[in-house]
Amino acid sequence: MSLPSTPLRLAAAVVVLLLAILLPFVVTGGAAKNLVVLALLFAVVASNWDLTLGYAGIFNFAHVAFFGIAGYVSAIATIYFGLPVWLDIALAVAVVAVLAGVTAALALRLRGIYVALVTFAFVQLCVALIISQKWLTGGAVGLVGVPDLALFGHRLSPSGPDYLILAELLLIASTVFLRFLVRSDFGLSIVALRDNEAYAVARGISATRQRVLAMVASSLFTAAAGAVYAHYLIVASPDVFSFSLTTLILSMVLLGGGATIYGPIMAAIALTVVTEQLAGFGVVRFMIIAVLIVLTLRFLPGGLWSLGERLTVLRRNSKQGIGA
Amino acid sequence: MSSVIVAGLVSGSIYALIASGLSLVWGALGVFNFAHGALLMAGAFVAWFVSDPAGLDLGLTAGVLTSMIFMIAAGGVLYVLLVRPWLGKPAAELTVIMTTVAGAMFLENLALYTFGARLKALDQVVTGTVSVAGTAMQAQNLLVIVLAPVLLGGLALFLKLSKHGLAIRAIAQNDEAARLLGIRIERTYFLTFAVSALLAGVAGVMIGGLFNITPSMGSDPLLRAFLVVVFGGLGSLPGTVIAAYLIGLIEAASSYYIGIYWTPVVLFSVLILVLLVRPNGLLGRAP
Repeated sequence: MSLPSTPLRLAAAVVVLLLAILLPFVVTGGAAKNLVVLALLFAVVASNWDLTLGYAGIFNFAHVAFFGIAGYVSAIATIYFGLPVWLDIALAVAVVAVLAGVTAALALRLRGIYVALVTFAFVQLCVALIISQKWLTGGAVGLVGVPDLALFGHRLSPSGPDYLILAELLLIASTVFLRFLVRSDFGLSIVALRDNEAYAVARGISATRQRVLAMVASSLFTAAAGAVYAHYLIVASPDVFSFSLTTLILSMVLLGGGATIYGPIMAAIALTVVTEQLAGFGVVRFMIIAVLIVLTLRFLPGGLWSLGERLTVLRRNSKQGIGA
Repeated sequence: MSSVIVAGLVSGSIYALIASGLSLVWGALGVFNFAHGALLMAGAFVAWFVSDPAGLDLGLTAGVLTSMIFMIAAGGVLYVLLVRPWLGKPAAELTVIMTTVAGAMFLENLALYTFGARLKALDQVVTGTVSVAGTAMQAQNLLVIVLAPVLLGGLALFLKLSKHGLAIRAIAQNDEAARLLGIRIERTYFLTFAVSALLAGVAGVMIGGLFNITPSMGSDPLLRAFLVVVFGGLGSLPGTVIAAYLIGLIEAASSYYIGIYWTPVVLFSVLILVLLVRPNGLLGRAP
């Protein structure tokens, strides 16, 4: 993978930060703001999924369920047990991390496609439990009444820019965390396991431990995003476990480009906006998105992010006189 | 008790038809078709459209026949558009999951767009009730229970005896050697998908006659079929069929005795137990 040179990356970071600071001032309309909050939260979920799917090569299809379960933990903790806000988010992250660890330990006894199928079945199990245990989860309607978050006595209001800023901070923290992780020894070890397991194990890497850790790491910010999502919408709903949301977020990962972290974030924002732009088309928009997904996978297998990389390589080559 | 067995055998038969198609494709191509449920739905809609008075009104026989021909073509088209371009590429397994998920999304929304969300039902091939060994059941149920093993037996004979069936199995075992022996691998892949889609279409028509036809009717059976293939071992046809009937019976028994909401929990627990002991399923080979 060829990343742009250091000055270029610094410039990109500055531009992104400026955009992040400007965004709450620019986006003030209700619908647009709602869209941006969703895009940012989905970007967290998609980029964390990239850690397990892209870097570790684990077909964990329960990733979006982590997002949903965190919402329920947070809703149950605040509504039934009156846990103060923020603490419930921490609790949700802890519960989901443990759950991710257990799921990983069980599912990773299996290989490749089996992991995908079993984690898919796990999601169905979650849905069935949530819909059937009405007394606790509100059944198919969802659990309504998750309190708004508050900071130093100031209630975060969905009408102001508060949740947008929170979602931005979450995405930035999550991205820094993920980039740090994938560039660390740990990141190298999970890539090694993905590319050549026998060799990696022979070099003393514990396959199960690293993969379980990768799953747990990918669940942390996903869970935080899920809890914030529940606070933002005031409801924990079984809809987030639907196949269509998993499809949407999976397409963000693949369209953006696996094993890049930045790619899924870009695709999450692009796809949320495109979906909204196509809203007038009704169900036809899903057909258009399906065609777009297949075309991208066909003609741009590395995802949108690889487009930038290709350009960088071209530019560098032409500079050095190798020819484009 | 006997009604539980009938219900279990009916769902087991349908799961067996769906899962054997998935297993066949997995064995030969090493990819997993997530659009299998959508194919099933498409088959049911075609049969409904051709046969129903609200559609072409040509009668059930014409509907089922058209649906079968359509399925063979649809399986082939799906292979050419969503699978073939990625075969042999790195990460083909994951990419094909994604392309077929997109295919399913396309088909389901196409059905929603064309036919609307209202429930539709297919006429039953046979009507009335019959009594077998003192148990009364719908004749359609009996037909499903009898027809599925016949079709699966036909599939087994096709794989064991016919030239094309042998080619599919040869590729599943060792595609390089199969290529060296002059098996036309492209054509065989195409055929595998056509057969798999045909089985899904039969299952779709069966479900359409017993329950309702909706754009999302394929997703629940597909998820059950996932359990079945993991349970039985992907790529093993006998394992898949045994697992399908076991899952069908367990599901019926737990819905009856424990409650319908706990059925997924029961199924999942059984699955975890099986996988802890046999990570490749009941009859699966190590990959």
